[in-house]
Amino acid sequence: MGRSSLGGAVLRGMLLTLVVLFFLFPILWVVLMSFQTNETILRIPPSLLFEPTLSNYTALISGKLVTNAGTLELAFMNNLKNSVVLSTVSVALALLLGVPAAYAFARFRFRLGENIAFTLLSFRFAPPLLVLLPLSLYFRQLGLTDTWVGLIWVYQLIALPLILWIVRGYFEDISPDIEHAYRIDGHGWWRTFTRIALPLARPGIAAAGLLAFIFCWNNFVFALILASADKQPVTVGALAFVTASGIQYGQIAAAVMLSILPTLLLALYAQRYLVEGLSLGAVKG
Amino acid sequence: MATTAGIVFPTAPRQSFGRAALPYLLSLPALLVCIGILVPFGTAVWYSLQRYNMNLPMMRGFVWFEQYTQLFQSSAFWNTVWVSLLYAVFTVGAELLLGLGIALLLRRSTWLNNMLSIALLLPLMVAPAIASLMWKLMTHPDFGIFSYLLSLVGIHDFRWASAPSSALFTVILVDVWVYTPFIMILLLAGLRSLPRQPFEAAELDGVPASFVFFRITLPMLMPYIITAALFRMLDSIQQFDIVYAMTQGGPGNSTLLFQVQAYLDFFKNFNVGRSAAMLMVLWLIANLISTQFIKHWLRLRERARGGAA
Amino acid sequence: MTGAARLVLDGVAKRYGRAVVLDDVSLEVESGEIVVVCGPSGGGKTVLLRLIAGTEQPDQGDIRIDGKSMLGLGAEQRDVGMAFQNFALYPHLTAYQNIASPLEARGLATAEIKQRVDKVAALLRIGHVLGHTPRELSNGQKQRTSLARALVRGPGTLLLDDPLRNVDAKLRYEMRLELPRLLASFGSAVIYVTQDYREAMALGRRIAVLRQGRFEQVGAPETVYGEPANLEIARLFGDPTINLYPCRPDGEAVELLGERVPLAPGMAQLAGREVMLGIRAEDIEVATEPMPGSVAAELDAVTPLNVRAVLYLRSRDGKELLATVPEDDALRFGRGHRPVWAKLAPDRFLAFDPATGARL
Repeated sequence: MGRSSLGGAVLRGMLLTLVVLFFLFPILWVVLMSFQTNETILRIPPSLLFEPTLSNYTALISGKLVTNAGTLELAFMNNLKNSVVLSTVSVALALLLGVPAAYAFARFRFRLGENIAFTLLSFRFAPPLLVLLPLSLYFRQLGLTDTWVGLIWVYQLIALPLILWIVRGYFEDISPDIEHAYRIDGHGWWRTFTRIALPLARPGIAAAGLLAFIFCWNNFVFALILASADKQPVTVGALAFVTASGIQYGQIAAAVMLSILPTLLLALYAQRYLVEGLSLGAVKG
Repeated sequence: MATTAGIVFPTAPRQSFGRAALPYLLSLPALLVCIGILVPFGTAVWYSLQRYNMNLPMMRGFVWFEQYTQLFQSSAFWNTVWVSLLYAVFTVGAELLLGLGIALLLRRSTWLNNMLSIALLLPLMVAPAIASLMWKLMTHPDFGIFSYLLSLVGIHDFRWASAPSSALFTVILVDVWVYTPFIMILLLAGLRSLPRQPFEAAELDGVPASFVFFRITLPMLMPYIITAALFRMLDSIQQFDIVYAMTQGGPGNSTLLFQVQAYLDFFKNFNVGRSAAMLMVLWLIANLISTQFIKHWLRLRERARGGAA
Repeated sequence: MTGAARLVLDGVAKRYGRAVVLDDVSLEVESGEIVVVCGPSGGGKTVLLRLIAGTEQPDQGDIRIDGKSMLGLGAEQRDVGMAFQNFALYPHLTAYQNIASPLEARGLATAEIKQRVDKVAALLRIGHVLGHTPRELSNGQKQRTSLARALVRGPGTLLLDDPLRNVDAKLRYEMRLELPRLLASFGSAVIYVTQDYREAMALGRRIAVLRQGRFEQVGAPETVYGEPANLEIARLFGDPTINLYPCRPDGEAVELLGERVPLAPGMAQLAGREVMLGIRAEDIEVATEPMPGSVAAELDAVTPLNVRAVLYLRSRDGKELLATVPEDDALRFGRGHRPVWAKLAPDRFLAFDPATGARL
């Protein structure tokens, strides 16, 4: 790898620039668009220099868009709130339920545990619609469509398997002798769990929670099928924007920015956990 | 020490009941989730064996495998298979090539390379449906930046997602944009974990770079490549978000992947039986691929665990 | 010592699936007594400790501490302290917190905890590293922290799982001298597990040899060494390994190593039997001149071993013979390849049944 000729380095630089351009340009461009008025957007040729405006964001945040045709109600803030509530509550619940279960799978060898683990793993790769379409009919019968309870429960189908798989590995990595020693010292199993197992598995729990949050936030099809306008998160809501009449492109761009900002920031803040979690333990980060 | 030979002690309760029940209590929620998956799944299997159209409730009846035979005889189904196959092959192929290339470029652990690899992770963090929305904005005929850039090189009226000839290409492009970073980090981590000796030895021997790549790097990286490829193939053939957000399966039937087709069959045609059958076929295909994937992935995990320990 | 033993194992058995790990194991340990459980790896020593500590339950039999049955009781309900082979220290806590853990579990007041931790830390000479985390400690310090944690509560029963294994040789020797004194001041019933027979003989009042899930011999170190119950135990104890030869004594002597070697009168009843005869290396006298009753041999090589030297001899009929002599004496022999005469002490022979391995 020490063969750095000048030509090679230049070529590498050029290729890397192209790559970076391809992957980051769209994000940058949409950021720019979100600060442009409709006139600026529609101007050809598009220019990098323009007068930025906050009107798109204020319209979204205030929820009111004043146009020539009248005042339009924008429900996007509701979508944002829904995303926040759905993702955080689902992940919190999944952690609460999943971490002890992962501990049980790691420490106790019992037939039911292996079966549960196998089922959850095999359904990670099954088509979501296979479960969602019949579920939508059940939901309608049970009156769970477009409810917090229904949605948070369904989001467990996304978050729990992820948490179980990642956290279980971290618990298994803790030497059992350490927990035995703590029990011999005289502590019961609950204290052993909270004072020894949890602290030592904390990186794994953080990685799992982070990943689960990103997957919940980015989810589209669950909410598309099981939620209506009231509880829709930003993924579905932003799309509804496009078809609604009278919405201006700048606002669509602003809505996109608000939709992706949380996950982008989380990714930058905790990227080491991300790599480990994404590869599902195939590589240590 | 003499033992009390011949006397069998009654086996006292070895553990208190609470202690034995503990693992079951702890995994109760996971069990509930499992049930929550298996019940609808079972229902879907049940539906796939029926002729069930919600528009025509009186026609509902049990028809065993007729739903499947009709499926295999319909040209629409084979169109779906073809489109899904094209999508899966081209997305995974492009992502592998690109991902490998980028990983090779960023192989050395310098500050710049590490910064870049983090930055390149960002498209993966965008919700695929939102990614479609972004690309929709950028390929808009009136103001889309890519439409403009194309016009600069003389290509006008490229219809991107609005034309049957180019819609599949467009969604494939979005998929490549979103998921290449995933392959990149996996292969990058794999590359960095390769032992140094073979490469140092090759350098000492003056072996040409192409030989090193094809005969040393690539074979050693193969387990990672195969694992990544299978994983992506699994998700790609079942793609919904990107395609639905961009084209809803159109124009025509040019982007009707499996799940998109099933969704439309259910919510537009209300044909519960047929959509269930199609999803069952997809599930079967996914199962075949996933068993292969799990085998490779577990092997990879053992290797990482053994190395780290 | 008072009558009732502190720790009683009564017919304990443990199975994992089909594999029987412990089979009918019984032992009694008094307060203040150190019993060393010695044996090859895989013999069941660690499982035995786990059963006594309470992290696992036996399938059969009983374990009694201070007369009370421990069946069904978890580890946290027993008065047991344990030091692990790989230390098992809590990585996210300081040495002080590690040692304080058993006291904390009993709900002692902070001041009293500090007093007792400081006391035992001083005893083990780690008082100056109490604020460090395990990562910052040397192996020797980790091992002593592990010991401190086991001792701090003054438990009735103390289990030591090969604690000196992962410690460097010099420290191991020091600890071997220090441990008996240290443990005596606490008065617990101690079970010390090791694979090293020398450690066993140095530390234990009694040695219990655990092989293939059974106690094949329990007794004082001299007894286990001098009168091993079977071939395998004889092989286990002794460095270099005991010399063993199949042969058939005729009452007074035996055809061995190409010569007629005299036997002690006590071996007369073995006449005519096929036996495995064993003689330890230190019971062989080697000289450059023939001695009455000695065997002619060729000296192949000399290896120094601690304060002794091992002589590799080859008998006239081609068999190998190992003898030890004081290192100074070995200088006489140079580096080998010369004829010597080896006298095998007749009353030091050990006879074993070739089929069962049992001592005759």
